[in-house]
Amino acid sequence: MADGRTPNGADEGGSPDRVGPAPAVRPFLVTAGRVAPTSSGRTMPVETQVVATAEGLDALDRLSFEQHDIIAACRQPQSIAEIAARLRLHLNVVRILSEDLRAAGQLTVYVPNTDATHDSSVLRRVIDGLRAIPDSRGVLRDTD
Amino acid sequence: MASVPSPTPGGFSVTPTEPVAGGAAAQTAARPPLPVKMVIAGGFGVGKTTAVGSISEIEPLTTEAAITEVAAGVDDLSHTPRKTTTTVAMDFGCITIDPTLKLYLFGTPGQDRFGFMWDDIVEGAVGGLVIVDTRRLDDCYAAVDYFEHKQIPFAVAVNAFDGKVEHELDEVRWALDVAEHVPLVVFDARERGSVRDALLVVLELALARSEG
Repeated sequence: MADGRTPNGADEGGSPDRVGPAPAVRPFLVTAGRVAPTSSGRTMPVETQVVATAEGLDALDRLSFEQHDIIAACRQPQSIAEIAARLRLHLNVVRILSEDLRAAGQLTVYVPNTDATHDSSVLRRVIDGLRAIPDSRGVLRDTD
Repeated sequence: MASVPSPTPGGFSVTPTEPVAGGAAAQTAARPPLPVKMVIAGGFGVGKTTAVGSISEIEPLTTEAAITEVAAGVDDLSHTPRKTTTTVAMDFGCITIDPTLKLYLFGTPGQDRFGFMWDDIVEGAVGGLVIVDTRRLDDCYAAVDYFEHKQIPFAVAVNAFDGKVEHELDEVRWALDVAEHVPLVVFDARERGSVRDALLVVLELALARSEG
C-alpha cells in the first residue's frame, strides 16, 4: 500500500489504548477533505459488510491506491472494520471510500438492519452457535 | 432504485447501484453473513483483547476509530462540557456461527472516568460485556454508565487475574452501583469456555429483551 504515513506513538509508553493521532494528511487527500460519509445520512456501522462487484474487480487495474486496495481485499465479504484493520486505514476513511466505490458500482455495501440482528430467532441461533464452542485454554497474551 | 436503501429479507439494507439479481454482481458477490455485534468494554489492560482473542476465530485485529470525549474541564469557567474527538485503538474479532450469520466482538476503550461516547462503534450492538479488574474498579464506571444510559443489555464480568478475585462479588456490585438486574459474573479472559459463558449471559439478556 502506498501511503505516506510515519510511525506514530501507538507502541510507545503511556496509554497504548489511546493511540497517537492517525496520519492526517493522507486520509485528507484520499477523501478529498471529506470527514463524514453521507448519501444515506446514516453512518455505516463498523460491522457493515462490503463485497466487490464484478465491475469493481474488472476495474481493479485502473483503480489506484486505497480504492484499489479496498476492492482487492473485498473479493470475499468483509466488514469495514476488517478492511480498516488489514489496510491500516482509519475507519472513517474506509467509510468514505466505500461509499464512493458503491456509488461507482464497484462495491456492494450491506448495512445491517438492526431489526434483523436483534430478532429473537437470530439471537437464538447465535446462542446455539456459541454454546457449541468447546472449552479450551486460549493462548496467553499480553493484556490488551 | 439506484441508491435508495431497500430492506431485504436477509436483514440488510442493500444499496447497489444496480439490481443485484441478474446484474454482473451476482457472479462474484457471495452474499455476506448477517453481522451481529457485541461490545467488550472496560479500562485499559483489563483483558478486553485477551477475551476477544480467546474466542475469536481470527487473531484480534486493531483499527483506529474516532470517539467523542466529553471532558468536564475544571479550568473551564463556562462549565460547559467540552467535546473533543479522540482517536482510539479498537480491537475486534469474530465468530462464524454459520455461513449466514457472524458474531463480531468489538473491544472499546473506556478507562476515562469522564466519559466517552462510543456511538460510532456501539450503534446497533445487541449487548455489551463490561470487563472489570477489581483492583481498579473505577476504570469501568464510564462503560457501565454508557450502557445504562443507552439501555443496551449488558453484564459485568470480573476478570479473575491469576484465578482469584480481590473482592467479594457483593462488594463489587455495591461499589459499581449497578442495578440488581445486571448480571455480575466472574470469568477468566484467557479461557475460551469462560469467555463463551460470559457472552452467553449477555445474549440471554438480549434475547429476553427482544421477546419483550
